[in-house]
Amino acid sequence: MASGGPLRGTATADRPAEETVLRVDGLSKTYRSRRGDRTANAGIDLEVRAGEILALLGPNGAGKTTLLRQIAGQLLPSAGRITIGGIDIVRHPIPAKEILSVIPQECEPKANLTVEEHVRYFALLKGADPAGIRPYVDALLTRTGLAAERNRLVRELSGGLRRRVLIAVALAAPNLRLLLLDEPTTGVDPEARRAVWQLVDALRAERIAVLLTTHYIEEAEYLADRVAVIDHGRIVAEGSVDAIRQRLDHAGRLEVRGLDHLTPAGRALLDELERRYPVGFRAGNTERLRVADPFSPAASADLARLAALGIVASLGPVSLEDAYLALVGNGRSEEGG
Amino acid sequence: MSPGVGRSVAQFAVVFRMLFKETTRELAIILGFTIVFPVGLLFFLNHLVAPDLRSQVLVGTIMLEMALLNINALAQSIGQDKQTREFDLWVSLPISPVVYVLGTAAVLLPFSIVSALITLAVAVGAFGLAIAWTTVPLLLLGLVLVWGSTMGIGYLIGVFGTSPRQISANAQIIGLILTLFTPVFYPVSALPALLQPVAYLWPLTWGAQTLVAILDGATRTALVGGIALAVYVTIWLVVIARGPRWREA
Ligand SMILES: Nc1ncnc2c1ncn2[C@@H]1O[C@H](COP(=O)(O)OP(=O)(O)OP(=O)(O)O)[C@@H](O)[C@H]1O
Ligand SMILES: [Mg+2]
Repeated sequence: MASGGPLRGTATADRPAEETVLRVDGLSKTYRSRRGDRTANAGIDLEVRAGEILALLGPNGAGKTTLLRQIAGQLLPSAGRITIGGIDIVRHPIPAKEILSVIPQECEPKANLTVEEHVRYFALLKGADPAGIRPYVDALLTRTGLAAERNRLVRELSGGLRRRVLIAVALAAPNLRLLLLDEPTTGVDPEARRAVWQLVDALRAERIAVLLTTHYIEEAEYLADRVAVIDHGRIVAEGSVDAIRQRLDHAGRLEVRGLDHLTPAGRALLDELERRYPVGFRAGNTERLRVADPFSPAASADLARLAALGIVASLGPVSLEDAYLALVGNGRSEEGG
Repeated sequence: MSPGVGRSVAQFAVVFRMLFKETTRELAIILGFTIVFPVGLLFFLNHLVAPDLRSQVLVGTIMLEMALLNINALAQSIGQDKQTREFDLWVSLPISPVVYVLGTAAVLLPFSIVSALITLAVAVGAFGLAIAWTTVPLLLLGLVLVWGSTMGIGYLIGVFGTSPRQISANAQIIGLILTLFTPVFYPVSALPALLQPVAYLWPLTWGAQTLVAILDGATRTALVGGIALAVYVTIWLVVIARGPRWREA
């Protein structure tokens, strides 16, 4: 089912343009209540293609969950249009839900069902063939690393494993084309988080489109083809990780540690560097200086001078996190230096 | 657009199996108790109620039990799903809200039916109440219609509630009102004239009337009552299918 729209975004020479799975046009959402109205999404446009992963970053209350709940057909938009595989989710919810899955931000699976039962029943509701359900569920449990837990009741599982059950439930959808993940790895340990990343990454091969929200910038850096930053209900930046990084007016950063035990010579050197490189931020005994070109000989020489005085420092390109913080306004305190 | 009826029936069967398994695992003891509880009623009935009214009051009480259990259980299940946010997961499935509601409500129906059968059997066998065995299938059909006619009440309490505690409290209050205003222990004509037409807006008034008519062999009254209950079931199905609060506004 082609959406028929123009293709933009990640289509590059080395990667053919894929069809658009999710399209969001002019989406706005205002929560109305007696205690006052609150606009959580304002004029959002987005597209996610088959086999593409888009990460949505934004501070608490930016409107990420609101956006995902509208796409999943749980919340009605105030204005705008959402199509999934060309199907309008507001007007034709059931066929659209046939091809989407979601992991809500906060959701407890049923305490008194086993892991296997969860996956099996939800798969059947999502249109899995009852005749072949056994091997289908077995494969899913293996793939999500839950095979050993298949007969355990959900109430006996740790929080991270419960989250993984929801991932398995979301993937238990034979016609899946769009996966919505609202903070999929919150509360998941670092090792298991990487396992989830691999799982999500592997969905590209099945040409599933993924829209995920996260507070772990690393997660976006690892997984996302494109990143959208949302703040106060608006998309304030969108593009590849590199493109977002390039929005900063500097390409590098010099991070200096151990500010609390500098020698007078070290202090003097740092004062000199701070006159040349603006201070990005200072927290505890660490500070970050903005460097226009981290690969320039001058920057390397400065790093060497710090090292010569025994000061722990590192020089490198700006991270997505630097760009993110600058975009969502926490960076404003940075601007002041 | 709605999925085909066949698809919905298959989905209902899945939801029912899933929730039945879950509920029996969670509530095994209380469900066993629910089944035998109405038998205790027979002791009171034998002492407090005039002999010629006993079977009517018995059948009426079984009906109330079933209706209240249905309303409470449905409202509380929805409240629980909203609390755990599993409701969001259900809404994101390609199912009609009718499938979710019928599946959720149907879980306790077998227990209510078994309970009704046991109570009727004990009433007839041990207490010698006059209930003809031939009326039992019709009584069960009537009870299922009563179940369907109260489904929307549980759904609306559940989806409009904000917390499990509030939903539970609302279900209790509404259950109490239903009990008081349902002419199980008295005929509708005993109500003040003003309340009599209002009483006919309650599905349970029709339920009581239908079940008593089945006992009495009053075919025409039973049929009218059955149709009234079926109208309620239809209205609820239409209301639920339109999904108020299924998708949040
Ligand atoms: N049901 C609701 N009624 C009223 N306001 C709401 C409702 N849900 C969310 N909001 C408000 O909408 C805004 C966006 O909330 P949302 O949950 O979408 O943020 P988020 O980006 O997902 O945040 P987080 O990172 O904390 O999960 C917030 O100001 C929030 O208070
Ligand atoms: Mg959120």
